[in-house]
Amino acid sequence: MRAIALAGLLAIPSVLVAQQSGDLSTPLAKSKQYVSYEAEEQAVKAGKRSVVEMRFRVMDGYHVNSHTPKSELLIPTALKLDTADGVKAEAVQYPAGTQYSFSFEPGEKLDVYTGVFTVKVPVTVVAGAHTLIGALRYQACDNAACYPPKTLPVQLVLKAK
Amino acid sequence: MRKAVVLLVMVVGVTLMLWAGWHNLRERKLAMQRANEARATLIPDKGGDAAQGPELEGPKLTGKVAPAFVLTNLEGKKVSLGDYKGRPVLVNFWATWCAPCKLEMPWFEEFRKQYASQGFEILGITDDADAGKDVISKAAQKAGVSYPILLTDGKIEKAYGATDYLPMSFYVDRNGVVVEETAGLGTKDEIEANIKKAIASGNKTVSAGGE
Repeated sequence: MRAIALAGLLAIPSVLVAQQSGDLSTPLAKSKQYVSYEAEEQAVKAGKRSVVEMRFRVMDGYHVNSHTPKSELLIPTALKLDTADGVKAEAVQYPAGTQYSFSFEPGEKLDVYTGVFTVKVPVTVVAGAHTLIGALRYQACDNAACYPPKTLPVQLVLKAK
Repeated sequence: MRKAVVLLVMVVGVTLMLWAGWHNLRERKLAMQRANEARATLIPDKGGDAAQGPELEGPKLTGKVAPAFVLTNLEGKKVSLGDYKGRPVLVNFWATWCAPCKLEMPWFEEFRKQYASQGFEILGITDDADAGKDVISKAAQKAGVSYPILLTDGKIEKAYGATDYLPMSFYVDRNGVVVEETAGLGTKDEIEANIKKAIASGNKTVSAGGE
């Protein structure tokens, strides 16, 4: 158990900020995050259906519910992308989760993402550069406790030739 | 001759039983191994970011008087911490989306019955901002709890420093003083030890109140 008195002596954990890299001038998320996303420009063929991948990383020591958690009370990981002119995005495809149970209660199964998980988005894009703004909603836990649901702002940057 | 046949049957019978037992044990071990391989090794007990512990914001309450509150229960009645003056109380923050919270709630219920004669009570404060009363009620029912479930007023978490990490528990003695506070799921033994600590602490001559 994490007694607060002891926890106070421990180092401040990851006040994790979503990392957006390269020349992409995405504003940094200021709230504590347990999932990060690195935006990369993705090249697709103009006018052709392509499936682009968005890679998310769950911080070490944490897990988030998969898109299809075992209980209706648990909050699923879900990506929402806004519409953008010249981009037709289809339904987001989520990876399967990994089964997990707490050592205290092996009978209670959870379905989670850990480490890197990739979400696929089928798109058809007209020629040019496009940016889809969106957000990943998730709810993280560690091995003993859970954190309130979070929203991670994301950008999907597409260049169609 | 007849004795030899009986003996042979017995030997064969015992051998078959031993073999069946060994085979069963082997199958169980293999099944356990397969189950463990299918399960992710998610969280090391030590090491990694999570092992550094949560960033706990807000006041540390151990040794201080528990912040007073008046909240509404699932039946719509106002419930105050003051109603329980003179009784040891466990104030537990939980949420419907918090799996570890729901693991310990049946333990709480068990201890509530076990220590009821000593005036022990539990107040479960749900930290769900979005969940409706029905969803909260359903989750509490599923966890098998019958102790009062109170709805947050949006301020109580700040008063107790329970804003960003669940479950959190505050063990309050008969005098209304917090004798122990914990963040995260503990073992059943640790929870019972904290309950005993709350029961043992404080002035026992104060009359019992509450529901």
